[in-house]
Amino acid sequence: MSDARVQPDGLHRDFGDESGASVSLCSLRAGPGLFGIDTRKIREVLGATTPQRVPLSPQYISGVVPYRGEVLTTVCFRVLLGLERWSKQRCVLILDDEDEGPFGLAMESVGEVVTIAQDALEPNPSVLDPRSMALFDGTYRLPAGLMVRLDPHRLHPSRLAETGLFADLKLEMI
Amino acid sequence: MPLRMASTDRLTHNCPHNYPPPITQGRARVSHALMLPPRVPDKGKVDELTREFIAESQEGLERMELCLTELEKRPGDRELVAEIFRTVHTIKGTTGFLGFGRLEKLAHAGENLLGALRDGKVAVTAGLINGLLDLMDGLRAILRLIEATGTEGVRARDEDSSLIAMLGELKDAGSAPAIAATPATTPSDPSPTSTAATDSPVADVAASPTTALAPFPGAPSIPDKSLRIDVEVLNRMMNLVGELVLTRNQILQCTPGALNFPDLARRLDSVTAELRESVMEARMQPVGHLFGKFPRMVRDLGRTCSRQVRIEFEGQETGLDKSLLEAIRDPLTHAVRNSVDHGIESPEDRIKAGKPAEGVLRLRAFHQSGWVVIELTDDGAGISTERVLAKAIERGLVTPEKAASMGEREVLQLLFVAGFSTAKQVTSVSGRGVGMDVVRANVEKVGGSVDLESRLGFGTTLRLRVPLTLAIVPALVVRSGDQSFALPQNSLVELVYVPLRDAQTAIESIGIAQLYRLRERLLPLVWLDRLLQLEHNPAAQEHGFYIAVVESEGRRFGLVVDDLMAPEEIVVKPLSAALRGIGMFSGATVLGNGTLALILDVAATGARAGVRPIADATRSGGKDAEAERARNQQAQIQDAQAQNPQIEMDRSMVVFEVRAGERMAMPLSLVERIESVPISEVEFAGGKAMLQYRGEVLSLEDEGDVLGPLGVFSGETTESQAVATVLICLRPGIPGTHGMRRTGIVVRQVLDITAGTLLTEDAAGFSGRLAMVRDRVTTVHRDFAEGLSTQPAAALQPAAALQEVA
Repeated sequence: MSDARVQPDGLHRDFGDESGASVSLCSLRAGPGLFGIDTRKIREVLGATTPQRVPLSPQYISGVVPYRGEVLTTVCFRVLLGLERWSKQRCVLILDDEDEGPFGLAMESVGEVVTIAQDALEPNPSVLDPRSMALFDGTYRLPAGLMVRLDPHRLHPSRLAETGLFADLKLEMI
Repeated sequence: MPLRMASTDRLTHNCPHNYPPPITQGRARVSHALMLPPRVPDKGKVDELTREFIAESQEGLERMELCLTELEKRPGDRELVAEIFRTVHTIKGTTGFLGFGRLEKLAHAGENLLGALRDGKVAVTAGLINGLLDLMDGLRAILRLIEATGTEGVRARDEDSSLIAMLGELKDAGSAPAIAATPATTPSDPSPTSTAATDSPVADVAASPTTALAPFPGAPSIPDKSLRIDVEVLNRMMNLVGELVLTRNQILQCTPGALNFPDLARRLDSVTAELRESVMEARMQPVGHLFGKFPRMVRDLGRTCSRQVRIEFEGQETGLDKSLLEAIRDPLTHAVRNSVDHGIESPEDRIKAGKPAEGVLRLRAFHQSGWVVIELTDDGAGISTERVLAKAIERGLVTPEKAASMGEREVLQLLFVAGFSTAKQVTSVSGRGVGMDVVRANVEKVGGSVDLESRLGFGTTLRLRVPLTLAIVPALVVRSGDQSFALPQNSLVELVYVPLRDAQTAIESIGIAQLYRLRERLLPLVWLDRLLQLEHNPAAQEHGFYIAVVESEGRRFGLVVDDLMAPEEIVVKPLSAALRGIGMFSGATVLGNGTLALILDVAATGARAGVRPIADATRSGGKDAEAERARNQQAQIQDAQAQNPQIEMDRSMVVFEVRAGERMAMPLSLVERIESVPISEVEFAGGKAMLQYRGEVLSLEDEGDVLGPLGVFSGETTESQAVATVLICLRPGIPGTHGMRRTGIVVRQVLDITAGTLLTEDAAGFSGRLAMVRDRVTTVHRDFAEGLSTQPAAALQPAAALQEVA
């Protein structure tokens, strides 16, 4: 990746179907992939932030960030994908989880909001590796490529700890 | 403190003074989700109205409990009877309305009995009190059931019939002889013995039905999830929030570099401070709430253990943060139980010892420099140090050799070691060996400390010190591995700077363990960056490093950090479950510069590094007691100051040596400066050493002949490079002259500045004045001894102290 702030190319604003219900997704970049999270589940996007590292914490936790009187645990998505930790400042999204409370998700960059027909979601392919299976929620076909939908529920730090899939990650440089 | 609004006729307060302030309708009920996780099984089952009713009834019953125990002492008090009657009546009335038939029936039976009592048809006997207490437990049990399940649990077997029958019996049985025996209407002061005498026959009857409903009155009550706060406080908070919003609006409209920005910042600052203050005020609850259940508990325990005990309170209005109040509830209950069971002797033994048959427990609460101190004093047998030691040796906690050299305070600290119990026999109440260690652990968990004082034959005092609040704690921010960490001040003992050039020699190692020699005691060192697997930053330790000597839960060690930052009052923010699992951090906080710092859990850090707690350490050397003792001494000094405001606030002592091996102390407040004076500047006049000091001529006292060996009297004084250490002191004025006079005292070396306690006059037949400084006997410099008043109740026995010096 040359520039963390590169805008996702070729994304049109509206892929919504006139007839069916549509959903707004915030497009995100991490590593080589394009991801999207339902905007209703995003509380706030904090600009360039450096989470405070927590010693002895799992690798995929990039640290803690202060947010409205609370200290939120932040998950590094790059590490979850098996990539080397991003050394530069990153965007932190504050995501809501009904059961476990809010948390942060560190991404390389945040792009536009796209609107897509709800029923365009395709399930995870069966050949996906178990880690990706646990992280991804399905895929949208966009003209410029695929956008993987993420569900905050699956990304919550305590949920990630439960799966046990990410305890010992071998990170590679991309 | 709480402003009471005009109350309606419901739940009018009639209890005698000294009780927790009654709750009237003028205050708002605020749900309190912050401190306790909701533990109600299913809130949906209980509607708002019922919840309100339960909370109010429970408060009513709490007051009734107090009134009942009071009534036992003053059977003629009609006000008390009226208060109890009203509580039961209110419950009965409301239950009928809410449709709780079982509760209503029981309350009705109780009301009948109380009605008879009010009208003077029944006399107050111990049996009656027992019956009413059982009624209360019965009502409580049903209320608890309603809160948990939403229904009052009408099952096939009617659990209340025996209780109702008993209440009826009491009413009928009581009415015949009562009219003649005790005219309850006369307000004459009845003898308390009459109640105790009649208790046995009825107590047995009363005991059986209760067990079905409430196993033990001390059984954990429903956790308090709501908090009553003054409407005034709430209004003030709302005003402040309004103010905050206005200030924010102005700040948002501010252009960069606006001239009024400093003003706005200041206003924001003051609004924040005030808001914080009022929120704290709202969270403050009088400790009296905690004391409320003790009279009943003490009464019941007294019967079980056949002791005669009275409990007295002082300072119930002392405010304490609600969450802390909950946290010390169990430790305090445990301690009270312990005092009744082990502290107070049986009436026969007491009379033999020349004490009144009835023992007295005294619970005292007061504020003291940011802490709340709760003292539990009994006038019982006290703790025999020999027995404690014998037990400790038997349990292998100390070696006999070590035991012989232990001071009294050190011995008493053994009581807090896990698995220690001195009870001669295990009773149902206490003495199973899980006791004081749990008390200490619980109190330390909330950042407090526990201290024990005892005089054999005269009683024991247990002192709990808890911080006013948990949410904001003073802390020292340290740097390690390029990260900031906050160390809570309450676990910090002292700080040591080790320059790099000394690092090689200062740190000694045995195997992989590294130790620092701190005042001739070895301190295990823990490198924070290594422990946390942080990247070591050699540049940060270019000049040296700091050792923060910390102690928590009996673990004492030196935490090595790169740098010390400012001490700050930090706001504690909890960490998410995923990070709590690491176990090393108790929270996080935002520092003044906007960055985050993790708050180190000192005890857990020590545990992870393998530092053993005090109990184990005692086995091999007992070094760790030192800091504990120093802290305790500090506490005593502060107590003494609280009791006797005439004593000057500063009780720190400068400890120095005039002759080799002899320690001398002087109050720090009298020492102006400690100067290193080149010998060449010492002049002589009339055979006395003098020093020109800031335009004054000071006479130097050189009792230990320090100057001689330095070469003052030999010819080459002008050449000498030697320096003498001189304390520049203010000496209390000589009669005839006014005020203080400066003087210099030549000393061999200054050893320490620390807290000390003056011993009582003529300790061990010594003509001078002695003080305890770090558990070593120290002479107070004679010229300054007169100016000091004796500390009341210096806790350390002089004999024990002298032993240690020998």
